[in-house]
Amino acid sequence: MGFQDNSGDIILDVVLTDEGRRRLSRGDGSFEIVKFGLGDDEINYSLYNATASNGQEDVEILQTPILEAFTNNASSMKSMLVSIPRNDILFMPILRLNEKETQSSEHSSGVFIVAVDADTEDNSAKNLDTSIGYIEGTHQKGVMFGANPQIDVSTMIKVDAGIDSAATLDVPADLAEEQFMITIDNRLGSIVDVSGQTMLRPVAVDDDNIATYLVSKTDENSFVTTPSQGSLLGNDSPINGPLSARLQFKIKSRPELVNGNYLFDLIGSTANIENNQGSSATSPCKIIDTIVRVTGRNIGYSIDIPVRFAKL
Amino acid sequence: MASIYKTIRNEDIATSRTILHEAIPLTGTIVSGTYADGNIKNYSHGMFQSVYDYPYLSSSANHIFDISVGISDQSALYSSVSSQQAKKKNVYNQMAQVLVGYDKNGNIQRFDADGDLTAGAKLDDVVFMTFSRLLVKDEIQKGTFSVELGVTDSYTSPFNSRVTLKDTGASSDYRVNSPAGDYGILYVSNSVGSPLDGITTPTQQAAGLIYYQAGVAVLTSSVFTNSFLSASANWNSDNETINASLTGSLIETNANNLRHRIYNISFNNSIELNSTIYFCHIGANEFNYSSNPTYLSGSQIVIKNSQSNNPPISYATTIGLYSSDNQLMATAKLSEPIKKTSANSLTFRVRLDY
Repeated sequence: MGFQDNSGDIILDVVLTDEGRRRLSRGDGSFEIVKFGLGDDEINYSLYNATASNGQEDVEILQTPILEAFTNNASSMKSMLVSIPRNDILFMPILRLNEKETQSSEHSSGVFIVAVDADTEDNSAKNLDTSIGYIEGTHQKGVMFGANPQIDVSTMIKVDAGIDSAATLDVPADLAEEQFMITIDNRLGSIVDVSGQTMLRPVAVDDDNIATYLVSKTDENSFVTTPSQGSLLGNDSPINGPLSARLQFKIKSRPELVNGNYLFDLIGSTANIENNQGSSATSPCKIIDTIVRVTGRNIGYSIDIPVRFAKL
Repeated sequence: MASIYKTIRNEDIATSRTILHEAIPLTGTIVSGTYADGNIKNYSHGMFQSVYDYPYLSSSANHIFDISVGISDQSALYSSVSSQQAKKKNVYNQMAQVLVGYDKNGNIQRFDADGDLTAGAKLDDVVFMTFSRLLVKDEIQKGTFSVELGVTDSYTSPFNSRVTLKDTGASSDYRVNSPAGDYGILYVSNSVGSPLDGITTPTQQAAGLIYYQAGVAVLTSSVFTNSFLSASANWNSDNETINASLTGSLIETNANNLRHRIYNISFNNSIELNSTIYFCHIGANEFNYSSNPTYLSGSQIVIKNSQSNNPPISYATTIGLYSSDNQLMATAKLSEPIKKTSANSLTFRVRLDY
């Protein structure tokens, strides 16, 4: 997309997204516009010069060139403006990937790895040591069992929401995150709880196969919890301040990945991953790299978590 | 609670209908000459000829219009048609079925010179020009259609004297008794020289019909004969009249001869835009914060300069319209960032055209 002409009057460049067009073509009433939000994807707030003379603080921000609208619904509105009906807020909650514990840490390659089938998880029962779920019988850090998440309790994705400031005692109730939106490529995986027993149903799957899941703090599931503030003393969160919620989940691989290699050939590549043999021995795996996005539904802050689906 | 969405109320949604027009000029050199007929497509069935704006074998060529010839079986010429008689009749009847319709007994009606199907002169020997939807869009704007034809008797210098067929006054005087929509009368008048015989006023002589929604012009062959002209134009290089060519030559040949005498064509098309307008009202205390990662340092809002009493500021670049399940249905991009503080309120008027 090109930049918009910003030499004169302010204009609006409006397009239906591909998902909007898809719903419109269905003719089943699923195309409905009921609310709006504002985005500021292009803005770099670090350009704001609070010490500049009056009226000059945001000159560079206001000169930011704006791209034409994207039709891909997944490409826009990555960061959104937030309505909070008071003006005295200095700290806002953020989301951070919690890698304080081994079981919620990424693999040494800097991604979470999902072993998509049983052989990739553990093939020791076949007297082989090429699987990647274990290294010499010890669970390999950052590797999730995508085919059998219920037998793997060692790896999960953990996201903390809170205010990253030790000067703040608690998260104000109007800023607390207790509901999260998780988006993942629906061709690759789905979201399950840490026990691997509870599968979530996506609230929407768009034209690009991006599935959206909503999880809230309820008694019925263990996705969202409120950690005790005392646990902060244990330095078990990357957020150095009060937490409002902790999200934890695992990823189950799709049958399409378990039973075939089509997607691996189409959108994947190969990589060597440490295997059960130990001593830094590796197995060549088919891989697909993707991103799982977690967004707080209250404040709208989001983080992208890199995930690698792997198959022997 | 904080929020990243705001509900659009029903009273903030409006609909409108707008008609846009584009001017479509077609110069005669495109029709015959510029591309040495490489932009002219003929078909083995021989029932019409297509004109493109570029050699048609190129992927960048656009179809602009077709030419065909029709002769009614009630025409005085019909019995003497020796070339493609059935096809010329079939073309006439097909176009008449679509554009004029049937009488109460189910018989195909003939094209009528003044649109009064109950009486008056009929157009039995006609040339059809069917314009591409690419050009016509929703319809031809009434009162804008004009085709200028060379009518010099010499075949080799056809444009020394010219006439114009125009739907004069059609913006306020058109017919609606066609099953294919509105149509107007094409009147012939002198353009260059005075080739018309005794025709001096713009709406004195009907010479064809223009169907606005269908995008079809029907021209009577009389435009090229001494019925209208002081002297009949030589329709082909053999110095035949159009009537001789209509009866004795192929449709394709007659299409070539017509193209040879098209000086230019112009009209405005019309595009009907149905719009839904969403008024996105943003109050003073709304959307003043951001979830942009650069908005915070740690968790601290950078633009507040460590002072909680400083007002929050945000900069909007995009408006997203969402469904109830939070799927992005439409995106609107501002041409420059808009500053939002608690000291201002905004209304964005987002129009979606269908």
